[in-house]
Amino acid sequence: MNSSGERPVVDVAFQGGGAISAAEKVDRAKVLKRLRFGDDAFRHLTRAAAIAVLVILSGIIFSLVYGSLPAIQKFGIGFLFDESWNPVTEKFGAIAPIYGTVLTSLIAMLIAVPIGLFIALFLTELCPMWLGRPIGIAVELLAGIPSIIYGIWGLFVFAPFLQQYVQPFLISAFGNVPVLSNLFAGPPYGIGILTAGLILAIMVLPFITSISRDVFDAVPPMLKESAYGLGCTTWEVARYVVLPFTRVGVIGGVMLALGRALGETMAVTFVIGNAHRISGSILAPGTTISATIANEFTEAVGDIYTSSLILIGLILFVITFIVLAFARLMLMRLNARLGK
Amino acid sequence: MSTANFTVPTVAANPGNTDDLVEKITVKNLDFYYGDNRALKDINVSLYHGRVTAFIGPSGCGKSTLLRVLNRMYDLYPNQRATGTVRLDNDNILSPSQDLNLLRAKVGMVFQKPTPFPMTIYENIAFGIRLYEKLSKSDLDGRVQQALQRAALWNEVKDKLDANGLSLSGGQQQRLCIARTVAVRPEVILFDEPCSALDPISTAKIEELIDELKEDYTIAIVTHNMQQAARVSDFTAFMYLGELVEYGETTRMFTTPSDRRTQDYITGRFG
Repeated sequence: MNSSGERPVVDVAFQGGGAISAAEKVDRAKVLKRLRFGDDAFRHLTRAAAIAVLVILSGIIFSLVYGSLPAIQKFGIGFLFDESWNPVTEKFGAIAPIYGTVLTSLIAMLIAVPIGLFIALFLTELCPMWLGRPIGIAVELLAGIPSIIYGIWGLFVFAPFLQQYVQPFLISAFGNVPVLSNLFAGPPYGIGILTAGLILAIMVLPFITSISRDVFDAVPPMLKESAYGLGCTTWEVARYVVLPFTRVGVIGGVMLALGRALGETMAVTFVIGNAHRISGSILAPGTTISATIANEFTEAVGDIYTSSLILIGLILFVITFIVLAFARLMLMRLNARLGK
Repeated sequence: MSTANFTVPTVAANPGNTDDLVEKITVKNLDFYYGDNRALKDINVSLYHGRVTAFIGPSGCGKSTLLRVLNRMYDLYPNQRATGTVRLDNDNILSPSQDLNLLRAKVGMVFQKPTPFPMTIYENIAFGIRLYEKLSKSDLDGRVQQALQRAALWNEVKDKLDANGLSLSGGQQQRLCIARTVAVRPEVILFDEPCSALDPISTAKIEELIDELKEDYTIAIVTHNMQQAARVSDFTAFMYLGELVEYGETTRMFTTPSDRRTQDYITGRFG
């Protein structure tokens, strides 16, 4: 802190004796002033960064709303419930892509959440060390695969596989079961809602796994030991101690995964079939909001067409927001039930 | 008494004056390894029903390790193993066929820090009971109340059984953990430095509690606090560098220890 560099080696103040000299006081005042300046700069810099988030967010919302105004004015609230999507007559409605988006994400979460949690529990509670590392790395690699690869693989390998082996089985197995027979009706196309859901499940699995593994690892060993000390089995420890203790982190991971599933574009576009209609069967082709936008933006001529695409983008944004709000609500409910 | 051998400390498995006592746990020739590191060396010790046995010694001497052998907590971790025999009544609990959940129901443990489960106070107690018994709501209520009374916590929490266990003070949390342990009706209770995170008043309460509990249980307590060992225990074992140096009645251990190292430790010359 000595700016002049000429102070004697033995520092009087440091020796604990008496006052410091006048020259040193000036030195210190200078140093303090410089530090204060640095502190101010730091504070402004961090605040600017935080404000930038708000600016960017409101900018995006503004441009989405502005861009979708023509469509909103033309179709009104009916846009949300209309199934038609006809560029020739310029008649558009969002319910088919909304349905596809929500349903594919739902399928993905139904599959990926339990599997992801099981992998994480296995890795943290049960797995011998020599096996843990390879599995952990494999999960991370899964997260690193670009979505276009999932798309290609889904279209050329996974969809034909489903078409040949899995879907005929599903159709015949559930053909006579009420409700389910509608869900698994129709010819086995290979591509469709179910295929997109499965691909999404594989894509979001690493998120759920790695986040839950990290939060499971953070459970104090002593807490787990006290449950084992009562005679709990590993399952009981996981179910009643580890999961409740880590619920905030786990739900955070699941929501992140859901956010990704809702917005995922490339892979879904490849395998969903891109059909603007709602059929009860999950084997049938459909579309999602992001797939629709990606497919049609380049060919969208005319203001209403473009505006409709922007409007469904805005709707996706709102859906994601609702999901996040719902997650918060769920956490509050959980905390209330646990008596916090 | 072991045979006279002047290089090896004379360690009594029997601390003397135990004729009318029931041996609950008998440890014979116990060695314990963390990987290749031998943390316990040829331990012989007996714990008696209705008595409190304290384990004292400097950090790293193996007292907590010994405690973790008694309910086989070490089994959770790879590379930790024990050899020798530990008899609970007449079963060797180190045998691979030992059912661990059953063992841990019999041998309860209270840890260094309070570890309430992430649930309500009521559930913290009921949880353990439900693992073993299917009770009606009213019976369960009764058992929860009984356990909380046993841990001298009932009067403080009876109006907020639905509150989260973590909302209690540190001392209350530790008593909640004791209540939770007592609730599953164990035969042995292991205390691993139960007061090291508590203030003096809470410590006094826990010690009082241990004194009340000892009638019905076999109790082992690891402590760094020698006054605590002197206050709560009937027998004291002094451990040093993985060996059991001396074991005897607490009053004798603290007045006329026979081993030089014991004397040095309890007079505060090291440790």
